Amino acid sequence: MTVGKSLFEKIWDAHVVHEAKGEPTLLYVDLHLVHEVTSPQAFDGLRLAGRAVRRPDLTVATMDHNVPTLPGPIEDPLARAQLDALRRNCEEFDVRLYATGSGREGIVHVIGPELGLTQPGMTIVCGDSHTSTHGAFGALAFGVGTSEVEHVLAAQTLPLVKPEQTLVRFDGSLPPGLTPKDVVLGMIGQVGVAGGVGHVFEYAGEAIRGFSMEGRMTLCNMSIEAGARAGMVAPDDTTFGYLERREFAPTGGEWERALDRWRAFASDDGVRYDREIVVDVEALEPQVTWGTNPGMVAPVGGVVPDPAQYADPDDRGAVERALAYMALEPGTPIGEIRIDRVFIGSCTNARIEDLRAAAAVASGKRVAPGVTALVVPGSAAVKRLAEEEGLDRVFVAAGFEWRNAGCSMCLGMNPDVLQPGERCASTSNRNFEGRQGRLGRTHLVSPAMAAAAAIAGHFVDVRELDVEAVPA
Amino acid sequence: MSLEGRAVVIRQDDVDTDVLYPGAYLNVTDVAQMTQHLFEGLDPSLRDQLGGDTALVVGANFGAGSSREHVPQAMAASGIRFLVGRSFARIFYRNCINLGLPVVMSPEAVEAASPGSTISLDLEAGIVTVDGRPFRINPVPAFLRELFVAGGLVPWLRARLDRSATVVEIGGSEE
Repeated sequence: MTVGKSLFEKIWDAHVVHEAKGEPTLLYVDLHLVHEVTSPQAFDGLRLAGRAVRRPDLTVATMDHNVPTLPGPIEDPLARAQLDALRRNCEEFDVRLYATGSGREGIVHVIGPELGLTQPGMTIVCGDSHTSTHGAFGALAFGVGTSEVEHVLAAQTLPLVKPEQTLVRFDGSLPPGLTPKDVVLGMIGQVGVAGGVGHVFEYAGEAIRGFSMEGRMTLCNMSIEAGARAGMVAPDDTTFGYLERREFAPTGGEWERALDRWRAFASDDGVRYDREIVVDVEALEPQVTWGTNPGMVAPVGGVVPDPAQYADPDDRGAVERALAYMALEPGTPIGEIRIDRVFIGSCTNARIEDLRAAAAVASGKRVAPGVTALVVPGSAAVKRLAEEEGLDRVFVAAGFEWRNAGCSMCLGMNPDVLQPGERCASTSNRNFEGRQGRLGRTHLVSPAMAAAAAIAGHFVDVRELDVEAVPA
Repeated sequence: MSLEGRAVVIRQDDVDTDVLYPGAYLNVTDVAQMTQHLFEGLDPSLRDQLGGDTALVVGANFGAGSSREHVPQAMAASGIRFLVGRSFARIFYRNCINLGLPVVMSPEAVEAASPGSTISLDLEAGIVTVDGRPFRINPVPAFLRELFVAGGLVPWLRARLDRSATVVEIGGSEE
């Protein structure tokens, strides 16, 4: 039997610019996404060296990390300086910028796909670890640091050592009420936060085929939280249906030719993966993290673990430290953990489907007394669509705040932060110490679970709530 | 290319870049200012232990999470000369190399090291020595040594793009 080629290998092979023994491979980059935080030093470097951006037509910038989600001027002078610098850099280097107020701005990993810039078979990089999101389209997409941002701006290539490949197979069909966020948190709980280091994950299985593009993006987004270089799903009719008629998707005869090309990016039979992981989807419940990394996760019906259960002293120490930071006692039922804040947003879960799921839970209910809940659409386009569907009115009527697009409370670098000691149910991707603000405590959940926690004031199994369809 | 340093040890695993350099300071572009926030979410007192000759000894999956290059930038500017770890998160690992900050993996050397240990690193031979005890590591490929000598990815790239101008001879003499 011949050895087939995987999706990853097909993309890799199609982008090799230079190969030599003992050296990394030089790979061509099809799309370079840029935001204001990891790019200023890279543009400065170009300026110092007297260089142009090699392919401004393959480079797209937006503003997201620093953008306040309330209307009004930017108070923080450093944040303003970063946004001004991006605007100047994009003008000087002739890079397309979707600036705040343009109507096409948003979180970089939300706007790439929604504008149709992200396409199957591409190589995509961005100075942001959650670039893995774009793998949902059958692209090879990964985060890079600022030195590599400069390298790609100058040369449109990157030297890379070929990663290994893991097939992550999700067995079984998705139980009712379970979301892609629960599936990816469950997977990270199983493989650990270092489980994917040095590997590209290819996700396969019936449950994944049933995911919408939004769901696949949530899954691929958090590949980096398992340490994986990238995560990918082979493109199919769901992918093509999402892309068709988007602003930068091919049209007419080009579209037909693109489809022929894209269909070939499925993995062949007989691929030899370096490793295979099987996740039993049917055994999963809605997930809630209890600790300080995304692998510290439990089913909503479970309890906070006891450090004494861990045989390995390093693991025991890590759990003890996490519980001390999170102010949680071993054995506490997850459902008894009370929260102060709710954040529904981020590049993981701020697309239209996420907001619909949260609104379906919130509809006709009220946010619990003492809880502040924030809904932040992932892009200006998601905000417009949600408002057309009346989701904003559902949220506001239930006592949620409805904000403008941005990274918001995901990362503690703009006005949306937790206060010390506050506990938050968050649809974002990282529950690291201080991630949402100094001494803030983060529990990662799905949008539906976050909305349910907002209503109840503590974690609750969303499947046991009376969830109404959102009025059309 | 060989280096020597005095060990500062962070033994826990999965240390993320948010605790190494919190998001609140991501807008800082001045490296000297970055050094004032290094380790802020982990243990700011670690900063007092750094000198011009520090070898940072770390656990497994060090540098997990965000791609913020502020971390290795602040490390290099704080006098960390190289890192020895049980293992590294991939983006952090690449960021270090891209800044010309050598990183090597040796669980045995990490086990043997304690705060203040004298650690030396011979990249060509592939040996890390802890208080006189040698441990074998995978020899660092010539390509990576070139990057370290050039001072990182960007200087190396500039030299490559400017090769006709012979600004820097890539693959030339080391040390």
